Amino acid sequence: MKRDLPALILFGLSALAPLVTHDGFLLDSLIVILLWGAASGGWNVAGGYAGQVSLGHSAFFGLGAYSAALLATRWNQSPWLGLLVGALLATVAGLVIGYLANRLKGPYFGLATIAFSQVLLILASRWRAVTSGSEGIPVPFRPGLWTLGFQSKVPWVYLVLALAVGVYLIARYLETSRPGYQLAGVREDEDAAEALGIPCRRLKVAAIAASAALTSVCGGLWAQYVGFVDPFYVFSVDLSIRFALNSIIGGIGTAIGPFVGSLLITSLETYLRATFSDFKAGLVGIYLIIYGCLLIVVVRFVPQGLVGWIGERLRAMGRYARA
Amino acid sequence: MGALPQLVVSTILLGGIYALIAVGLTLIFGIMRVVNFAHGEFLMLGMYLAFWSFTLWGLDPYVILVAAVPIFFGIGLLTYALVMRGVVKASHNVQIFTTVGLSTALQNAALVAWTGDFRFVRPWHSGVVIRIGEAAFNLSQVVAFLVAVLFTATLVAFMKWTRAGRIMRATAQDVEAATLMGIDTDRVYRLAWAIGLVCVGIAGVLMSPLYSVYPTAGLQFVLLAYVVVVLGGLGDMVGALLGSLIVAGVEVIGSYVFGSAWKEVIYFALFIAVLVFRPAGLFGQRGAETLGA
Repeated sequence: MKRDLPALILFGLSALAPLVTHDGFLLDSLIVILLWGAASGGWNVAGGYAGQVSLGHSAFFGLGAYSAALLATRWNQSPWLGLLVGALLATVAGLVIGYLANRLKGPYFGLATIAFSQVLLILASRWRAVTSGSEGIPVPFRPGLWTLGFQSKVPWVYLVLALAVGVYLIARYLETSRPGYQLAGVREDEDAAEALGIPCRRLKVAAIAASAALTSVCGGLWAQYVGFVDPFYVFSVDLSIRFALNSIIGGIGTAIGPFVGSLLITSLETYLRATFSDFKAGLVGIYLIIYGCLLIVVVRFVPQGLVGWIGERLRAMGRYARA
Repeated sequence: MGALPQLVVSTILLGGIYALIAVGLTLIFGIMRVVNFAHGEFLMLGMYLAFWSFTLWGLDPYVILVAAVPIFFGIGLLTYALVMRGVVKASHNVQIFTTVGLSTALQNAALVAWTGDFRFVRPWHSGVVIRIGEAAFNLSQVVAFLVAVLFTATLVAFMKWTRAGRIMRATAQDVEAATLMGIDTDRVYRLAWAIGLVCVGIAGVLMSPLYSVYPTAGLQFVLLAYVVVVLGGLGDMVGALLGSLIVAGVEVIGSYVFGSAWKEVIYFALFIAVLVFRPAGLFGQRGAETLGA
């Protein structure tokens, strides 16, 4: 239970926020923080727990966004169905890329996943007959729970919060269950794990598929929330990096890490956007410069991420206090 | 096949330029064992160098080429000292995200400083068309090709026949043995990184009259360069040359047959196929991708 305390605080405060404030800007920030946190948590299942560091997770996010948007606009279906279809498509895509890239390690795996997301980007931006090509898809606003259209931001907070808690619980399951321990074995030393009879290949593929499905659901909700799908955004390398960055800064391979990372990075982004958008829109890019430098500094000096680092500090302080 | 000579000539010209980008990438990988995800951003910086000297001082990209060598060598030494030095011996993930971070920072620094506008460098030679038989191409393309080939050849010769080149290859083959022989590996890495950046910087300057210049210009070319380098076998310079010709051929023929909109799908499919079936490259040793490489 002690381990879940930070998550309880974070998610608890998020749940209380709509009761305290109705400020659109604050609630929007909260929704975005939770959504990016959940998507990064999805990345973390493959990147953190299974050690399959993907640089192409925007592929799955985009699949989810496109499934939800296309089902809603072209076939007039509920976005819930879109989420389901997106998750299924992403699972299949995850199985395929996971199977194909199974033997690849380190930079090779990263390159293969980038290439995969680029192929989807090209398909989405050029296959005009189905995807409307590079101008993207506006998602119509249809009020109601079944069609995921809300006048207020409050339902969105709870919807995204539920998703975030779900992703967190899945990650916690991976920390305390047999498949989770097996995955850790695969990540730390694949040969040793294989020698102990752990089905490494199958586990890696399964982790990538599950990770893909989670990221895809985030993409679907994002499309519905924002109301527009731009192929150059949802399939971008930047987005893939963002998922990885949140997890790394917060703490790769920890359940709460991606949310802590998202809290920091997304707040920084929102703050700079709000500050600079008035007089010089171009300066908004500064947050991305900071984000790049932060990444370099964090992987070099705090590779375990902030959660791990704070944990170490606290334990050190505890020892000091007892002595 | 009236188009055949044109296709062949275009392939060769394009291949020469890709080779120069890829050679820097493969050199850095071969010696430092680091995949430089920021390679495209240095290409972009090379293009901006050409753009600004052309716009502000009216200097031809070919004049700036001479200055670009020390400039990029300096940038190389600086980024090595600030960023790369601490991670050369770190794990893959740390290296990947260090160069990814460098890429994000540089790309957006360019965006903030110079906006996202597409800019063009159009000196007199980019409009001169040369015809030989049925094939036509423009002068900038030919010069870019010639300089790229000259530069790549010099680099291959440097690696093969000079003492410094031998030291670098020795380090690539066995770091521990090299250290025991008294080689200062830190210097080797610094040199490899700086030379790699000079290659890609030069490539950027050479390409500036042919393409538009914008902050993410590097991305599309560097993805290509990865394809080239993996095809040729990461770390293999001659392989990179052959890989460039293959990729250029796929691109030229692909755009001719399917239209230029779909050519990328073809080489990414080729890329994934190579990664899956021959990850060590077409000419490399099998299994290299699962080793410490």
